[in-house]
Amino acid sequence: MKFLLLIFKNVRRNLLRSILTALGTMVLVLVVTLVWTVLKALDTATTEKSQNFKMICSEQWRFPSMMPISYATLLRDGGARDAGDARPIDFMTWQFYVGTTDPNKHTFESSLFAFAMDPNKLMAMMDDLDSLPANDAARFAQVVAKLKANKRGLIVGKDRLAMIKKQVGDKFKLTGINFKGIDLEFEIVGVFPSGRYNLSAAMNDTYLNDSLDAYKTADGKPHELADKSLALVWLKVPDMETYHKVEQQIAKALGNANPAVKCETASSGIASFLEAYRDLIWGMRWLLSPAIIITLALVIANAISISVRERRTELAVMKVLGFRPVQIMVLVLGEALLLGVGAGVASAGLTYLAVNYIWGGLPFSIAFFPAFLIPINALWWGLAIGAGASLAGSIVPAWNAQSVKVSEVFSKVT
Amino acid sequence: MNQASSIVSVRHVHKFFRRGSERVDVLNGLSLDVLPGECLGLMGPSGSGKTTLLNLIAGLDTPSEGEVWVGGKLVSQMSEGELAHWRTRSIGFVFQFYHLLPVLTAYENVELPLLLLPLKSAQRRQQVQTALELVGLKDRMWHRPGQLSGGQQQRVGIARAIVTDPELIVADEPTGDLDAKSAQEILDLLIELRRSLQKTILLVTHDPRAAARADRVLHLDKGQLVTDSPVLV
Amino acid sequence: MPDLTSIPARALIASLLAAVVIALVVWLGRIPIKYNLRNLVVRWKTTLLTAAAFMLVILLLTVMLAFVNGMSRLTQTSGKPGNVLVMSEGSTDEAFSNLSKSSIEDVGNQPGVLRENSRPVWSRETYVVVNQPVVDPAPRRPTRRLLQVRGVEDSAVSGRVHGLKLCPGGEWISAIGTREIPAAAGGPAGGINTASEALIGEGIAREMARDRTDAARAKARDPERMAIGDTLLIANRPCIIVGIIQSSGATFDSEVWVKSTVVKEAFRKEAYTSLVLSTKDAESAQQLRDYLNTSYKKASLLAVTETDYYNGLSATNKQFLIATIIVAAIVAVGGVLGVMNTMFAAISLRTKDIAVLRIIGFRRWQILVSFTLESMAIALLGGLLGLGVGLLCDGWTATSVVSSGQGGGGKFVVLKLVVDARILGTGMLLALAMGFFGGLLPAVMGAIRLKPLEALR
Repeated sequence: MKFLLLIFKNVRRNLLRSILTALGTMVLVLVVTLVWTVLKALDTATTEKSQNFKMICSEQWRFPSMMPISYATLLRDGGARDAGDARPIDFMTWQFYVGTTDPNKHTFESSLFAFAMDPNKLMAMMDDLDSLPANDAARFAQVVAKLKANKRGLIVGKDRLAMIKKQVGDKFKLTGINFKGIDLEFEIVGVFPSGRYNLSAAMNDTYLNDSLDAYKTADGKPHELADKSLALVWLKVPDMETYHKVEQQIAKALGNANPAVKCETASSGIASFLEAYRDLIWGMRWLLSPAIIITLALVIANAISISVRERRTELAVMKVLGFRPVQIMVLVLGEALLLGVGAGVASAGLTYLAVNYIWGGLPFSIAFFPAFLIPINALWWGLAIGAGASLAGSIVPAWNAQSVKVSEVFSKVT
Repeated sequence: MNQASSIVSVRHVHKFFRRGSERVDVLNGLSLDVLPGECLGLMGPSGSGKTTLLNLIAGLDTPSEGEVWVGGKLVSQMSEGELAHWRTRSIGFVFQFYHLLPVLTAYENVELPLLLLPLKSAQRRQQVQTALELVGLKDRMWHRPGQLSGGQQQRVGIARAIVTDPELIVADEPTGDLDAKSAQEILDLLIELRRSLQKTILLVTHDPRAAARADRVLHLDKGQLVTDSPVLV
Repeated sequence: MPDLTSIPARALIASLLAAVVIALVVWLGRIPIKYNLRNLVVRWKTTLLTAAAFMLVILLLTVMLAFVNGMSRLTQTSGKPGNVLVMSEGSTDEAFSNLSKSSIEDVGNQPGVLRENSRPVWSRETYVVVNQPVVDPAPRRPTRRLLQVRGVEDSAVSGRVHGLKLCPGGEWISAIGTREIPAAAGGPAGGINTASEALIGEGIAREMARDRTDAARAKARDPERMAIGDTLLIANRPCIIVGIIQSSGATFDSEVWVKSTVVKEAFRKEAYTSLVLSTKDAESAQQLRDYLNTSYKKASLLAVTETDYYNGLSATNKQFLIATIIVAAIVAVGGVLGVMNTMFAAISLRTKDIAVLRIIGFRRWQILVSFTLESMAIALLGGLLGLGVGLLCDGWTATSVVSSGQGGGGKFVVLKLVVDARILGTGMLLALAMGFFGGLLPAVMGAIRLKPLEALR
């Protein structure tokens, strides 16, 4: 206990240096936390799960996938026909509606991308929305109820809402971009919880499909994309065995139908998207993060070796007083550790609070992830980075400290 | 003694410091003159104000009251910038603990003040070598202070003091950190330089043997001159 | 928003300027710089430790900027100034465009389009992104790949329109467009022995080769990249590579070209996606673009000059540039704090030296400058090391995505990292700035607040 106090006093002694080192640690841990947040989210999304995972059915060859809506009934049952066939636990169909608030000049800022889907599936099947914390879940359930009640309802992500300069409760018209001639009237009923869907929107699929039918009635012929309106069908399956069965059932049920359909696990689907960013992710993981951690270790090493050098006489006196080399080493390591861990955890904690609650996520859009939330595990990262870097940085100075030669030090002080 | 002919002229100088609310008087209306080419010894117990007096004359400090003239210039009225400029050209310092820059060689230490003067590098080299030759360290000029003995270090200090060819050399306990033999050599050197280069030297010391080498010795006590008499040799 | 891409150019000038100013200050200002530099040498361990942190920061900046630079080069050099790209109105990207054959028939006859043998010089293309399974993927590699396929009518003409060349030994796709698979190539399963001819970009040829298993690589004609005679499947259709499109640093590096009919049959795509028209020069291209957008009434088209189109694909570049700047700035703060430690310690160890310098006649500002320069010298050392190591990444290839940020329609690209003078200038400037800010505060505290007489006592 006395020893801890001694370590603490040493940290406080050159307060300026300790503060500078702690601040340096904090900014560097901040960057690593942000980088790891992105990597962790991408890793989680692409890691194959073995139980209760989602699979995606889409057009086999082409991207973006455009399947006839008639495929939906077959796909959502996982191609099951007979009593003994494997069936998915749950399903969700996705159609995409892209519209603009400014038909004359559509820019990214004036356009809106909506998932046209069954509102009941929002909290059952959508990634992240299916695992909201209790508070958010209760709040969002109310929003979903409003969407169910209002065919023309629309849920919008907060960034997109700001971009199209609208508010919850606003009624407005969108001019169809992908479905030309399908212009829709919406009422914004609520906002997505902050995070992955900040730039997205969700609408009732019945509204889109009814509008496509109405187009046919009015125009005499079906809309050119009428039989290409289904983008994806998501299925939730209990295990790999069911997944393979479902895949075969679908292949069998569709036969030679054109377009062909492919099934893949959600994680491998995302992985093939992220493939384009492979080198970028590699660089973040193996260049950026290590380089910053090494920089941190260097900054700490520098500070600690300066403080050891300044205290040579004092360390020699301690040796004379009977401190063992190990104790002196522990003293120096402890000082570094206290600084590193304290600053690391503080930094990760502040990052967690600031990014999640003030900025509403780290806005680095990659593939279809517009923003990332810092996981609570970041606190452990902060601790680990702080501890690792401070130990790595202080091991040599600590060794130098314990090997201080009493005779040398005192011969210099004349 | 005539003010016009003296190189240093201190007139009614007071110097006090504040220590909290307390006023500590170090110099109390002191006046003195130093003639060109003179070697003046300043003696006195610790706290008598001799170093303070030296600092005032060397332009390192300003008096609370009174005037300090050096070489016809009113040093006590100069701004800090003017003082720095003037010090480089007019004053050579010799310190008790030498105060050489440990990372620089003897040559570079001596060269340091010359960097502040508008000299060509060839001129600088010439002057540095001459100065080191005068103190007898020409063969050691590429050594660092750490590689030199105390006496040798003080010689480098002296070379640094004379290299700008100043009018006045101030030496604060130049032998205070040296053994008797080295101290003797340093004093010999100072006296010899005064003679050959016609320098004025102000020597603060509490070593009677050092004081004995001066032309004249002033005794200070409690901020005032006690005696002003030529030393009996 | 200021044009971020122009910052590096200013940085180069600024860092040169900084160097001149420093030289002048040292030369005219009578700074005891030798003393400061000597201290760095004597305390070489601390110097190296601090410089190493600088090195890493500058190295990171260099590599990240080289990556962004590679992306910018790609979008800036893709596209010929004399070409006009035509898509259907409202398309945000080629991938979403739909041009029926009839709607564009007459476009080739409009004024400004170059003609040869009384036919327009144009390239009618069907661009699709194919979700392609990787045959026999290497372990821990994705099982699917998004492949960019461009169906063209006559590859030789299209190649000429885009200014592309084939690597030696290659041939353009023939009029028939199919050929027998030589027995040695061990044609795809199922006894099919004819294949559609395909051209492949150098970049993607390398990428696809990386996905082969070691065994497949050992047997390959060229272990490094797909070679002429290699086969691949596009939507279940066997294709044989007849030519490799020479790398031009453009997005075509990452594409596979086949005959239009192959794409049309495989993807139920009757229409073209893009039409590229050749004109005499950039000016005619702009005239043709304006004419097609405003006065041409036979079809609703969206015409852009090809250079504008590719320049527009720079949203991702900007995003990465901003991320790079933010990361570099934060990491630089860490470096600044590190060098501050070093300089505070240096100055507190050397208060006596500073006092002596002051007494000899050096002024406060001269001491201030000399210690700031000492810090900047550490920065210079670290910066040079960082840039030196960073230079090694010049020419590395990396994959990325360029996009217009309009939602969807990003293009997968293989790019070359480019370290150029502007990046070196930016790196040096950041290093010097870090040194400056890290040295200034300690120097101010050391030089301004120091009382020489007290320090020597």
